[in-house]
Amino acid sequence: MIEIRNLSFEYQTGKPVLHDINLSIEKGEWLTILGHNGSGKSTLSKLIVGLLKPKTGSVVVDGLTLSHETVHAIRRKVGIVFQNPDNQFVGVTVRDDIAFGLENLQVPRDDMIERIERFAQKVGMTEFLNKEPHALSGGQKQRVAIAGILAMDTDVIIFDEATAMLDPKGRRMIVDYMRQLNREGVTILTITHDMKEAVLSDRIVILKEGKILLDGEASAVLNNRAMLEQSNLELLLPLRIRHALTERGVRHPGLEALLWASSLNK
Amino acid sequence: MGIKFEQVNFAYQGPDGQKYLALANINLPIHETGEFIALIGETGSGKTTLVQHMNALLVPDTGSVTILGVKVTKEAVRKKQIKLNPIRKKVGLVFQFPEYQLFEETVLKDIIFGPKNFGISDAEATARAHDIIKVVGLDESYLSRSPFNLSGGEKKRVSIAGILAMEPDILILDEPTSGLDPMGRDELLTVFNRIHTTLNKTIILITHDMNTVYRYAKRALVMRSGYLVYDGDPRALFSRNNIDNWNLETPDILSLQQAITAELGLKLPHIAHTEEDLLAMLEAVLS
Repeated sequence: MIEIRNLSFEYQTGKPVLHDINLSIEKGEWLTILGHNGSGKSTLSKLIVGLLKPKTGSVVVDGLTLSHETVHAIRRKVGIVFQNPDNQFVGVTVRDDIAFGLENLQVPRDDMIERIERFAQKVGMTEFLNKEPHALSGGQKQRVAIAGILAMDTDVIIFDEATAMLDPKGRRMIVDYMRQLNREGVTILTITHDMKEAVLSDRIVILKEGKILLDGEASAVLNNRAMLEQSNLELLLPLRIRHALTERGVRHPGLEALLWASSLNK
Repeated sequence: MGIKFEQVNFAYQGPDGQKYLALANINLPIHETGEFIALIGETGSGKTTLVQHMNALLVPDTGSVTILGVKVTKEAVRKKQIKLNPIRKKVGLVFQFPEYQLFEETVLKDIIFGPKNFGISDAEATARAHDIIKVVGLDESYLSRSPFNLSGGEKKRVSIAGILAMEPDILILDEPTSGLDPMGRDELLTVFNRIHTTLNKTIILITHDMNTVYRYAKRALVMRSGYLVYDGDPRALFSRNNIDNWNLETPDILSLQQAITAELGLKLPHIAHTEEDLLAMLEAVLS
């Protein structure tokens, strides 16, 4: 679905933020990119949707190589939800906001009205359609942003730390949508440092200082203490306990199984 | 007494002219020193509004907030009977995403901006900056750097250093660790805990992270729809059944202990407070 080849980027000459990134994301896959603050993970998501221009290398989405000419076509395939819900509102009402992307795509009016209603309902925001976005909670704002992307019927949704500012309830709701969308076949790319969110994905890539440090199956990456710790990340609590008990020579197969299972509980 | 809310009500005026109740009949005493308070509750419950009353950025519609001996009421502010600047110097408030407010050429200039505004000399402010940059876990070489080339976690620390440089008696932080990676979060929490334990300063922390509340706070305040619905021991809070109603979550350490007890029937002598605590109990029971 997405092919990233030899991708490098720098904001300032001589200070690469991303260095020779190679990454393939399969259709229908749920991939998490983990990394410390400043590892380049948000830069990568901006490069994928053409908000930034690579220094070298290429991004190919569904056969289309990202360029000035293809960027609009690619944004029809890849939607992105950002961390700060306040930074992504343009409309006076929730309805206008969901409509914004569709207007850009020149969707006919009747179709547009139908799509807005359908996707507002899907994220449980129908009753808020005529409200101002400012009157919503963070979680509600993120749901509106998701509805806007769903209305554009993209194949891929990038969640760029989309839950970082939310309260536990808002977070749970967004994570539930990620799961549901992925089940429906949407390719999901989650950028996070929340290990509990990462555990839900199929595969995890760890970025460190602009390079791919590790790329593997989610459960294997999440149990790799050395790699996580050198990336400012952490093992999930049950796995920390499991490692610590092993180090202290305490063996209890039942407990070890429980600690493993409760870590990877999806 | 540090800060005392007495029957405080406050409403926002919406764009439609309607009033939205943000604080309802708040009564709350906070000590000037020695407290580590976690303020929790869902988005829109009134947490930020509450802390903005603690340094008179907002003034109650009715009732009063007495801040370090100064009684703030709507009337007193309207008649200009009280000075608010000294209050704001003594009660340092770090906003959410303070890094957006960095604007100077160097980290040093950003840190001394606040103190200089409050009448502290350049030399004194600079001397403080050299001490405080270390308190927030950065070295002095940062002082000459541009704040814009720092990572998210570093920017947060610089902004917190700017508030600390005013030497506030009480430090309030609005979601200081949101957006930070796990190590950045732990380092910052260690900084707050150190400020609290070594300087005995009262810290008030708004957070959505229940692990932080459980691990560090000595007192938890829960807001719900403008009301203060809980004021007490964080450990007791999480042992209550109504945390779901307040949209809180059980701290990881507690859910794990509950699973261990329920599924393996392992009886542990007490409820774990920290990870080390749980480990020690498991080690004792299993070896």
